[in-house]
Amino acid sequence: MIVIVDYGMGNLRSVQKGLAKAGFEAIISADPEVVGGARGLVLPGVGAFGDAMTNLAEQGLDQAIRRFAGSGRPFLGICLGLQLMFESSEENGWHAGLGLLQGRVVRLPEGLKIPHMGWNALRQLRTEPVLAGIPEETYFYFVHSYYVQPTDPAVVAAVTDYGLEVPAVVSRDNLIGIQFHPEKSSAWGLRILKNFGELVGNAGYTRD
Amino acid sequence: MLVIPAIDIREGKCVRLIQGKLDQEIVFSTDPVEVARRWEERGARWLHVVDLDGAFAGGMRNFDLIQKIVQTVSLPVQVGGGIRSIAAVRELLGLGANRVILGTAAVMEPELVQQAVEEFGERILVGIDGRDGKVMIEGWEAVSNKSIVELGKEVEKMGVKRIVLTDIRRDGMLKGPNVEGTREMALACNLKIIASGGISSLEDIRSLKALEPYGVEGAVVGRALYSGVVVLEEALRIAD
Repeated sequence: MIVIVDYGMGNLRSVQKGLAKAGFEAIISADPEVVGGARGLVLPGVGAFGDAMTNLAEQGLDQAIRRFAGSGRPFLGICLGLQLMFESSEENGWHAGLGLLQGRVVRLPEGLKIPHMGWNALRQLRTEPVLAGIPEETYFYFVHSYYVQPTDPAVVAAVTDYGLEVPAVVSRDNLIGIQFHPEKSSAWGLRILKNFGELVGNAGYTRD
Repeated sequence: MLVIPAIDIREGKCVRLIQGKLDQEIVFSTDPVEVARRWEERGARWLHVVDLDGAFAGGMRNFDLIQKIVQTVSLPVQVGGGIRSIAAVRELLGLGANRVILGTAAVMEPELVQQAVEEFGERILVGIDGRDGKVMIEGWEAVSNKSIVELGKEVEKMGVKRIVLTDIRRDGMLKGPNVEGTREMALACNLKIIASGGISSLEDIRSLKALEPYGVEGAVVGRALYSGVVVLEEALRIAD
């Protein structure tokens, strides 16, 4: 079962609906035990980084997510969910993140229109299972004011050009993060959710 | 520069019209999806798909087929022909078309272009089809009172980034593209241009590629590819 983490930070239903359209049932849960028992985990999110970490910690979800991520089962962070995967963010001060990947979250540079909101084309840097079948130059829908700066550039699987190269898809082992909103990005966004669903389907319950 | 194979669809078939005339139609294939797949195999990086029935009727007529193409190939696809409402724009982009081309709408309903650009940004292309410098509309059956450069400037103000510029005197004629007209347009406007119509040799590809610094970004090739006078692989090599 795919579990969508409910920590009071929006867009859960649209992600659930997107997965359903792609043929995968997902449940929404705020229970660390349910999160721990998931076959695949989705961490969506809209809002401020600091609030999100506070909410996760209050419900014991931060530890549950870290344990899940270490278990080798497929994990997908979307938008704020992607940013939370990193070590820290400078959004409204300094906040520690989940630290699943090394790097930080910083504000888009001055002079750009912020938030970055709209359709931007994806440039794929390497083969990435969650992007299987996605044509080059495919447009996806972005809404964000901050972006991730991974310590290891090799985790970046795809970028979009928005005045600078914005990491749009990052991945390492079982961890996948997506800056745009696949659930709001037409047929190709659904294809990404389907790819993730298939990754979950193909992964076994190893370790944990 | 991109070399973009054109797939013009009429009554479910892949065809080519001569100067846009319905009674001068050449049928290349009865299976446009297969054609799309073939161009992909041969190295195309984009496809240009036009619903000709839609262009003449003023509303899409080969929607299912276009959907099939978009979902079959893993290439970005730009789609035009008969797109005259925001609902149609949303539907096409929603099913996975990379970009849509608004033609007649740009002249008759600039508000639609404006709205589409606000919602989808650079995914909206405007098709400017010219004959003797004037803009043709309604599937090239009517001439408007606008010059192509005027329209180019107007759509640029609306936030359009890219146009498909077709010289209909040249389209399907295999007599060479209107390089001079393309250059004039490129100089007059700050738009990226995909040139279309008339390409009939590798030399034509070279001439258009020479305009790359002015903003000519691609060339749509139709009849020349289907009749074999231009071989896609060679054209791609020159254009790269």
